[in-house]
Amino acid sequence: MEHLHLILQLISVFIIPLILVGFPIYGLFRRVPVYEEFVTGAKEGFSVAVRIIPYLVAILFAIAMFRASGAMDYLTSALRPILTAVGIPPEIVPMAIVRPLTGSGSLGILADFSKQFGVNSLLTKMAATIYGSTETTFYVLAVYFGAVNIKKTRHALPVGLIADFASILMSIYLVKLLFA
Amino acid sequence: MLNYIWAGLIICSLVFAMTGDINDLRHDTYRNDQSLPITLKYRAPYDPAAKEIPVDVVIAPDVYTNFYGVSARPALSYSGTLIQGGKSPQLRFAADVPLPEPLSTIREAAQSDSSEIGQLQGVVHNLSTNPSVTLDPVRFYKLGKITKAAISMAGKAVNLAIGLIGGLALWLGVLRIAEKSGLIDAFVRLVRPVLHPLFPEIPKDHPALGMIALNLSAGMLGLGNAATPMGLKAMEELQKLNPTSDTATNPMVMLLALNTTCVQLIPSATLVAIIGLQAGEVWLPTVLSTAGAMVVAIIATKLLGRLHRYRSTDPNRQPAI
Repeated sequence: MEHLHLILQLISVFIIPLILVGFPIYGLFRRVPVYEEFVTGAKEGFSVAVRIIPYLVAILFAIAMFRASGAMDYLTSALRPILTAVGIPPEIVPMAIVRPLTGSGSLGILADFSKQFGVNSLLTKMAATIYGSTETTFYVLAVYFGAVNIKKTRHALPVGLIADFASILMSIYLVKLLFA
Repeated sequence: MLNYIWAGLIICSLVFAMTGDINDLRHDTYRNDQSLPITLKYRAPYDPAAKEIPVDVVIAPDVYTNFYGVSARPALSYSGTLIQGGKSPQLRFAADVPLPEPLSTIREAAQSDSSEIGQLQGVVHNLSTNPSVTLDPVRFYKLGKITKAAISMAGKAVNLAIGLIGGLALWLGVLRIAEKSGLIDAFVRLVRPVLHPLFPEIPKDHPALGMIALNLSAGMLGLGNAATPMGLKAMEELQKLNPTSDTATNPMVMLLALNTTCVQLIPSATLVAIIGLQAGEVWLPTVLSTAGAMVVAIIATKLLGRLHRYRSTDPNRQPAI
């Protein structure tokens, strides 16, 4: 297990320089005008980023308002009795709610946990697993669909939220199973 | 769905902010216009003519907890400045000291509405006999807070998008070379057996499959910076196959689902930075739960896609206009 982990980490360090150098070399080999093609492709970077802006503003401002309103505190206290009944520590609720909404917010909660409960505590491990195993669904949705101007997202958000819910539950129970 | 959730977020924030503010007013959480008894300790002999006098403010813990009806206890003393010369003397607390609730909230409120001061301050009564301070009143703190959050986040979102330009340009350039040199096509042939069942709508030799594979592998290795441009390129390829301009196709939904739950073989660098070596310990549960979530996401995409409301909006089922 340790070896596998190490190998994977090595791959993740080497893969980017390998791609950045390897692709152009292969291109040269295939007689592609590499510089010209690179510039043509890179030109798109700007327009894609600009296209994303309205989608990102729409999603992020609504989430920022929701977080500032203190709704999270109400939700946590409302959910507390149900969660305790199914063996989920209520302290983890803010993490579970914030994770799909904002990356920086959930990172803040995780940093808070490691300070408050210590890095070896069960709660910090749960929060870290949740952080590592789910994505900021709303952000990904805004960026990916924004880049191609898709406004009607159909079942993308429900699917993303269902998957987040599953992954958060699994994180909590797996950490309990493995470390408690 | 997104319409309702988006509106729900905004409406909820208004409702919760209002509820919070009305609660604060009803319970007078911040004791507006009441004076808190304090003791002032002068560092130098008191000079009635001086404009600004550095002082230490001592708040007796019992007085404090009774006055605000809270359990938080104040520190032994707070440094501050006594400002004289106006109608009545003012007390200003030092800027960055940690304060107990609700003083910290009162200071935060001062920071958000009167930007020129941004410090906890109030009017001092009976300076010579038994001093007390009436802090600046706080009303509708949460409404102000959500307004500020909305406006500042709108600015941050633009910065965030602009910040993506460099990485996007780099990767889109490299990917263009890969496309022109035939690397992507070779890659498509390699990953087709795995990806085709998930994306049956994509023609078998379409470069979109190659981009999706690159995007997912980058995601698995925790290379977020490379994964996003590859994902966006994949979205562009998928958009070329889309008969409509503004409605998501099934492959797009699948790509998004896979991206939000992608198996994480490497813990992200940020995770390691925050919790250190423990990131290795949570590796196993992370891999297992992402793998499980990926299966859930695939099943959910396929099942929800069969519902009438999503099937009837599928761009590939409508005659192209």
